[in-house]
Amino acid sequence: MTMSDWSAVTRPIPVPNELTRPFWDSARQGVLALQRCQACGAFQHPPYATCVKCMAIDLKFEPVSGKGAIYAYTIMYHAGDRRFAAAIPYASIIVELDDAPGALLAANLLEAPYTEAKVGRRVEVVFEPLNDDITLPQFLLARDTT
Amino acid sequence: MWEHRCKVALSGVGFSRVTRSAEVPLAAHALEAVKGAVEDSGLAMSDIDGLATYPELPATGHAVVDGVTIVSVNCMMAMLKLPNLSWHVQVETVNIGGAVQQAANALLAGVCRYAVVWRAMHNPKGTYQNLPGTHANGPTQFTAPYGFGGPGQGMAVAYTRWLERHNQNREKMATLAVTQRRHSHKNPHAYFCGQPLTREDYLKSRMVAYPFCLYDCDIPVQGAVAIVLTTADRARDLRPRPAYLAGYGQRLAFEVAGRIGSLSSYMEGGRSSSRLTWERSGFSPKDVDVAQIYDGFSASVIYGLESYGFCKEGEALDFIQDGRMELDGELPLNTFGGSLSTGRIHGLWHIIEGALQASGRAGERQVKDVNVSFVGASAPIVQGTTFIFVREPY
Ligand SMILES: [Zn+2]
Repeated sequence: MTMSDWSAVTRPIPVPNELTRPFWDSARQGVLALQRCQACGAFQHPPYATCVKCMAIDLKFEPVSGKGAIYAYTIMYHAGDRRFAAAIPYASIIVELDDAPGALLAANLLEAPYTEAKVGRRVEVVFEPLNDDITLPQFLLARDTT
Repeated sequence: MWEHRCKVALSGVGFSRVTRSAEVPLAAHALEAVKGAVEDSGLAMSDIDGLATYPELPATGHAVVDGVTIVSVNCMMAMLKLPNLSWHVQVETVNIGGAVQQAANALLAGVCRYAVVWRAMHNPKGTYQNLPGTHANGPTQFTAPYGFGGPGQGMAVAYTRWLERHNQNREKMATLAVTQRRHSHKNPHAYFCGQPLTREDYLKSRMVAYPFCLYDCDIPVQGAVAIVLTTADRARDLRPRPAYLAGYGQRLAFEVAGRIGSLSSYMEGGRSSSRLTWERSGFSPKDVDVAQIYDGFSASVIYGLESYGFCKEGEALDFIQDGRMELDGELPLNTFGGSLSTGRIHGLWHIIEGALQASGRAGERQVKDVNVSFVGASAPIVQGTTFIFVREPY
């Protein structure tokens, strides 16, 4: 059995701040939106006060498709974070979206054996509500691999 | 080249006892190391007029108690009551290597004459990364909900990218762990001195955060190390042969907090720091006789070897094979055992070994005919610094 059991994990709940609130507001509505520089067009994540490419401060959150590839991953075998002890081993992944090269999102690979995590594997976003306010973007193996 | 090359030298070095857990307050370890370094130089404590450190405990969720979990500059000032103190600094962004560089700058500026730099590291009781709580604030809001709990995982994700992009095999890392452990048997101060580690031990050890197994991670310990830095002309009058500072650099790359896993950021950090060091010293990787490269997690050595220019990207795991990192190899590496064998004291021990090798004071583990000694003192990405020490000023 190589599926991680998430049922007994209580995930820490993100606390939005001035920079990050639009990300979480969109996620709650089932939309993945990332910060985009209106001057040079670059996406970035996590959100930041200025564009890390060109220093512009005109940044807006824009929806992205939610399709991408695993940029990197680790499989956790050690319950260093005791809140996740029930799920080990589990795959924590870093996703690079097709629409937002260079912006890297952390997530878990859900509904697949953790051994399916591989660099370059196609994934797509899915939304996991934690409570009424916060919904986590997560990723599944892409159904359509093209 | 740097007009100040070889005008500052590392003189005395000192070590405390390294224990697995805290048996005495950390301040006692720091004092033991500092006194040892001052004595090694043949100086009196009253000669010391500069102090620098990086005190951070890289564990989370533990109370900070100065003198017990960290040893700050203020703590050291209060303990030593130096009659001639004229300069001090505590750095934040570039780890302990930054404290060494600031001390060198202060010596060059003439605002102190004999500076002591120490690194003291505590091993807290219980889980090292103690992450209680129901909420994730600040940069952790994008990582903690997914079970990214500590620096090891951030390093591990970059390592999977490196391994799979370059079609490499993590089992080759056994050579690093095993060779460094063998080096540490010639370093009486190392935590694992005398405890063997075989290739089979490495390959069979439990996985922590794939691709890291237990022996890819340095062991948390309680201990301290310290150095005396002074100007080259003063160093020549002291007891030990000086190791001259030929050049240094610090990472110029930048990473937004909470963005993890970027292999290119590790590489950029290492390239920027080492470029400054090569330019300032006038040397290049092929001139290096011995290297110490920070190894809090084993993969740091890989990013270091490649980004500093010792081998091409994707080749570092092959580079360390075939005896190349042995004491008589082409590039003797982490000759004191590295953090993997000394225990987690951060990069000041790498700096110490770099200097001891340059001055011919490394004892049983001394590499033959060393002139150019290279040090990468922290993981290249966030806090990287690099140094070159030489035996002969030029
Ligand atoms: Zn821009």
